[in-house]
Amino acid sequence: MDAKYARTQELFFELKVADVMRTNVITIHPEQPMSELRVMLREHRISGTPVAEDGRLAGMISVEDLINWLSTGGPDCPVREKMTPEPECLYSDQPLVHAIQRFDQAGFGRFPVIARDSGRLAGILTKGIIIEGVLKRMDKELKEEQIRQYRASHIFEDLLAEYKEIYLTYDVAGKDLDRAGRASTQMKRNLRRLGIRPDIVQRLAIASYEAEMNTVLYSEGGVLEFRIAPSEITMRLRDQGPGIEDIEKAMEPGWSGAADWVRELGFGAGMGLANIKKCSDRMDLVSTPGVGTTLTIRIFTEKEKPRNEAA
Amino acid sequence: MTLRELATELSAKVLCGEEDLDTEVQTAAASDLMSDILARLGTPDVMLTGLTTGQAIRTSSVSGIRVVVVVRGKRIPEQMIELAAEEGIVLMSSEMTLFEASGRLYARGLRSNAEGER
Repeated sequence: MDAKYARTQELFFELKVADVMRTNVITIHPEQPMSELRVMLREHRISGTPVAEDGRLAGMISVEDLINWLSTGGPDCPVREKMTPEPECLYSDQPLVHAIQRFDQAGFGRFPVIARDSGRLAGILTKGIIIEGVLKRMDKELKEEQIRQYRASHIFEDLLAEYKEIYLTYDVAGKDLDRAGRASTQMKRNLRRLGIRPDIVQRLAIASYEAEMNTVLYSEGGVLEFRIAPSEITMRLRDQGPGIEDIEKAMEPGWSGAADWVRELGFGAGMGLANIKKCSDRMDLVSTPGVGTTLTIRIFTEKEKPRNEAA
Repeated sequence: MTLRELATELSAKVLCGEEDLDTEVQTAAASDLMSDILARLGTPDVMLTGLTTGQAIRTSSVSGIRVVVVVRGKRIPEQMIELAAEEGIVLMSSEMTLFEASGRLYARGLRSNAEGER
């Protein structure tokens, strides 16, 4: 709720007078008679109006001026004789917050707005118009935010079923450096589209990428599978060899069996498996030398699950 | 600082993502080792690197890094530029060394990710 109020304040600073003012201004010519002013104010249900000649502001006249003229019982006369000749105005490029301050200081109900470059009357501003303009803007922003959120988050939730699971499977070609990482970036894009929590997607994407790179750099290739279920996401990567001789050693941060060409690519620092463990809630690594390796990780998507007990 | 200002500071050429130059950035990381970038906490806005392969782009994509600046005036393969365009990542090239580029950005106020570095 606080965020909404803060945004309102921000808007007052961001918006300019031109963004909210009414531009189809009703005006009266200085030579028109006061009797016509009376009709105009009544018909349009306004309490005052700028006096303008050829688009240039000549003065302001209000219902108070009309009442004063009526109470003197005077003859009909041009508006020019009863108007306030050099009224205070605002400029269309001024920040709205300045306009609000002027309303406070001056005690009037309305200000004519002038375009700074041409000096012509550009619009009119009242407190009511300000509120209308700000509300419209907030409503517009709210709608845009709703659309954005809807696109991002409801696909999985919108599917109606007693139980939902989504499977994604990718082939990872061994030693194919051009495409290395493709599966992980595609998976990340898919999961964002599904509306999975961003922090979960981030952890999974990093774990997936590290695992995929391991497969490309060190193995003959493999299959990467993701299972997205309501309470958890499981990733399994099965490769076709050569297998890991010493799993405990492989898990040590900094230990690497990388050949030079791997290091030259910016990899082989030995951080991959440790990083995968850090990103996941459960991790399981089994390998048979000469046969292959299977890496399985689980990330819990509901709150309050303990992280990484004995891997 | 904006990306436009960053490009000027590093005398960098923008290879992809010209339309995003008004974006503000506050954090950066510099490394030639993608494993180190992946292992750090948090996601920097900008990555400075000497790695001129698609992996610099994929690492960025997977981590949420939005801008990659390749340093040392290295030649950037067409494939890398295409991949950056596909992934929506701003790619720039600077003649400066990793050290000088990092120093200049640090002097201009860019910092490591707020959550701390390993």
